[in-house]
Amino acid sequence: MKIRTVAHNSFGSFLHSKVHYAMGLLFLVFFLFGLFNVYSFKHMTTASNALQMQQHMMHDISNSIVLLYGLGNLLAAWAAADSIASEIKSGTILAVMARPLHRWQFLAGKYLAVLMLMSIYAMTVFGITYLLLSLGGQPFYISGWALVIYPLVRYAIWAAIAMFLGTFLNPIIVISIVAFLLSVIAFMSTPMAVNRIPAWIQMPLHVALPMTTVVLDESRFFNMTQAALHRYPWTDHLTALTYGIDYALVFFLLAIALFQRRSIACG
Amino acid sequence: MKPVTTPAIEFRAVSKSFRRSFAGDKLPALSSVSFQVARGEVCAFLGPNGAGKSTSMNILMGFSYADSGEASVLGYLPGDLRAKERIGFLPENFAFYQHLDAEALLKFHLSLSGRKADNPSVLIADLLVKVKLDSYRGLKVRKYSRGMVQRLGIAQALLGDPELLVLDEPTSGLDPAGRKDVRDLIMALKAEGKTIFLSSHLLSEAEHICDRAIIIDQGKLIRAGDMHELLADGDRVEIVVDQLSEVLEQAVKLGGAFVHREANRTRIIGETAQKRALAEMLWTNGSDILSLAPIKTSLEEMFLKLVEKGGAE
Repeated sequence: MKIRTVAHNSFGSFLHSKVHYAMGLLFLVFFLFGLFNVYSFKHMTTASNALQMQQHMMHDISNSIVLLYGLGNLLAAWAAADSIASEIKSGTILAVMARPLHRWQFLAGKYLAVLMLMSIYAMTVFGITYLLLSLGGQPFYISGWALVIYPLVRYAIWAAIAMFLGTFLNPIIVISIVAFLLSVIAFMSTPMAVNRIPAWIQMPLHVALPMTTVVLDESRFFNMTQAALHRYPWTDHLTALTYGIDYALVFFLLAIALFQRRSIACG
Repeated sequence: MKPVTTPAIEFRAVSKSFRRSFAGDKLPALSSVSFQVARGEVCAFLGPNGAGKSTSMNILMGFSYADSGEASVLGYLPGDLRAKERIGFLPENFAFYQHLDAEALLKFHLSLSGRKADNPSVLIADLLVKVKLDSYRGLKVRKYSRGMVQRLGIAQALLGDPELLVLDEPTSGLDPAGRKDVRDLIMALKAEGKTIFLSSHLLSEAEHICDRAIIIDQGKLIRAGDMHELLADGDRVEIVVDQLSEVLEQAVKLGGAFVHREANRTRIIGETAQKRALAEMLWTNGSDILSLAPIKTSLEEMFLKLVEKGGAE
């Protein structure tokens, strides 16, 4: 009940955050970018180049969707780190923590609020994916649930990492670290990195980072033309998602452990 | 529930220091501070800026931890939920959620307080009337003045019908009328038997409201006691006589006392240690003693004297 109260209030704060508005604006730009490409390719399509144009369109829609999902990672990280830091900085946490509320309950409420926000975000991106494909006259190959659940688990991971880092670092530093890790992960997925970086570097990174190429494979939903999800049995999904949830849980518990001992009074 | 014989607040040799640099330099904020606040009393917690008041309050509320020593609140460790259920806390510069109005903010705090109210809306409406914010209940708190925010802070502190109120600068930001309202409210709460522990820079208010005072400076306890005892200076008395001859005046002055002649009486101020000798001298030489009383000092005078003394040391 108390966790839900904190979550509900934090969710309300998220809807009034200026940084979230700025991210919403960026979201709109990425969406319009995808929409513009769909209409451009449709306009340029003729009977002779239909197949080539379809490939181009799918590529560009994929790019837009990747950007939108990627932005979600940053939004999840920022919301998680800032939700605690801003309360400590403003002092609102003092009146709240003077209530009969455990510190872990406060953190769980914040985390739940981030997951609520990111659920809406993932469903919105799923809707946009569907919309862009429909407007482009492309078939929808992928299971809808995967386009919501997989990103949501990924957001849960980044939110937990950011919450952990946010218990002792400024949110700006946290978001910088998250952006750096995301860049490393994106780079590790490129053919150049796969071919050139020795295995003894790749393997530890795959294990340590919330790496996507091993289990939470981004290509499952990024590369939509392959209908990739259909190739995996449900046990594979279960393993992948359990791994992701486990990763998030470990960092969330670490965040609780650190938050338990720190001073919450500013200055 | 713990027996009510335990003090409402107890600090036993509490020390706390803050790391000043990565090298490990430490700045002491509290040095072995010990005091008690009994149940049902109104106690002022006084000290200049940086004395360690907020650090003590933070330890008391479980927001930060002492390096050594022990603290207890209502018989429990600071931060224990059983204690927090019975505490109302007003932080210094009460901060609020920008997106809420007064009613929504109080509803949020009420649901966290664990208090079961038959009709939460009525309870909240009554509290808003009590702090004179009922006509602004639907206004976003970000549009409130500093004084209104402070009054809202007091309302949220009272939400859980607390047994102990911890108020950090409750009159900060309030105009004289607002300060009087808070003073009256505290007096009413005192009459209800609630324990109130408050820090304030307005010493004249503390003097009128509080039963006891605890004074700290530079992280050390420098004085604690009953307000009447603290204000009775202890080292001077005033003797009022109907008449005083010039010869006798010289004799009194030779003893180190001061003489103030007024229209139909004379006031003699001397050291408490000489009280008996002075009275006997006056009496045996024909002066009629109208009154003899210890000189009361104001809390502000006493506070400044103590702090200056502490600073000099």
